[in-house]
Amino acid sequence: MTEETDNGIGGVHIKYLLHCPRQLWLYSRGYRPEQNNSSVAFGEALDATTYTRRRDIDLGEAKIDWVTTGAVVHETKSSRTPSPQHEAQVRHYCLLLARLGVNIARGVVHYPLVRRTTEVAWDAFARAEAEKTEQAAKDVIAADQPAPRLPRSRCRGCSYRDYCWGDL
Amino acid sequence: MTAAARTYWLTEPCRIRREDNSIRIERPDQTPIRIPITDIRDLVAFDHVDVNTSVVSLLNRHDITVHLLDHYGNYAGSFTPHEGMSSALALRRQVEVTSDTHLRLTAARDIVATTAANVKWALDTDLLDAPLKRLTEDLPTAGDSNALMGIEGNFRRSSWEVLDTMLPPWLRLNGRTRRPPSNAGNAFISYVNTIVYARMLTALRCTPLHPAIGFLHADTDRRRNTLALDLAEPFKPLFAERLLRRAAAQKTLRQSDFESDVARASLSKGGRKKVAEMLRAELASTVYHRSLKRKVSYEELIHLEALKIVRLCLEGTSYKPFRPWW
Repeated sequence: MTEETDNGIGGVHIKYLLHCPRQLWLYSRGYRPEQNNSSVAFGEALDATTYTRRRDIDLGEAKIDWVTTGAVVHETKSSRTPSPQHEAQVRHYCLLLARLGVNIARGVVHYPLVRRTTEVAWDAFARAEAEKTEQAAKDVIAADQPAPRLPRSRCRGCSYRDYCWGDL
Repeated sequence: MTAAARTYWLTEPCRIRREDNSIRIERPDQTPIRIPITDIRDLVAFDHVDVNTSVVSLLNRHDITVHLLDHYGNYAGSFTPHEGMSSALALRRQVEVTSDTHLRLTAARDIVATTAANVKWALDTDLLDAPLKRLTEDLPTAGDSNALMGIEGNFRRSSWEVLDTMLPPWLRLNGRTRRPPSNAGNAFISYVNTIVYARMLTALRCTPLHPAIGFLHADTDRRRNTLALDLAEPFKPLFAERLLRRAAAQKTLRQSDFESDVARASLSKGGRKKVAEMLRAELASTVYHRSLKRKVSYEELIHLEALKIVRLCLEGTSYKPFRPWW
């Protein structure tokens, strides 16, 4: 899990934006029920027990899992299937590091449960993509009202489900 | 709501110790009980409990609240972890919402009306129709929360009388008394209400809200948390009145379960255990929630109620207090 302060866009922001803008809006307003979510706890446990020789890199607004020589950004995921959200999160970390003057080579997403990795390219196109996503996240956060709920079926496993669907 | 974690009820005097990064509970007679720390949401202590700083720091790290009840079942206080969930923005909105007189009184009126309806639902009787009608007529005229509480008090008096007709003579309330409760029935009601309040407090701790900034009760009501008192109100009949009626009908409680004295009564050790057992079963029972499309326990209903206030604060949606729909 990444952790961040309120002054920037971190990895969680990007992940939530791509899943559900409403979730990002609520998260940015300080309602964060995910600490009671068992799948989040599972992800944290997985992060703590895999690749333990590597060290986190704390950027303040984001916490990168680890970076290897040649500036390859690594990220561990407890999922079994690659998803565009994961890649976008890594691209965002690349963007943050690139702004600090690091010459990024590429990103890698690790899926230790299925022992697979996915490569994330870092070039001008990827950078434009990352900046676009960051701007979208900022727009969502700046809105007065949250986005409407997603269709019911896409809320499965979301820790905000009780909040969004709990009124009768 | 936590998927795995649960509430632990300590009905006997015990010592809580830390064992590595987990909890061991030592009771005088039996072998110690070990509980994984991640399995605990909160602890309710009905009797004397010994803790030390290493336990406290561990509980704090895992955001676990310990609720303490005194001998008479009054709420004696709680050990609460630092507010890891707090958010300045949500809190600011909560203050705005509750300091707007119109908004506050609307919510308070809804709470009083719903509570009365829930009492009638719990007692399942026609005898309360007239007082309920009078309450709904009086509510719009009430200009402040004191007047509202007065109207609620009138209704409650008739409801206690109706409840008395359903109970055996030794369990009758004969007028509600608190601090200390004067007879067995009052002791039971106080005890259950305290626990419902504690459950609400735990639920509020899982949200960014401040439990002391509320709508209906006085801001310094016996130094208790106003919002938790307010939100617990609609749930009290669901547990207190209903369980008392059930206990009387099924003869679960006996006179020996209470320690009665002149003008004061409390549950005995065995009685406390019985009540805790009943409450646990009741909190775990489930109903089907239409929009969540799954079964939710009564415990989760309390949690959903707290989320309604979060929704009110963040999105400005109107607050509809809990009514049983089944």
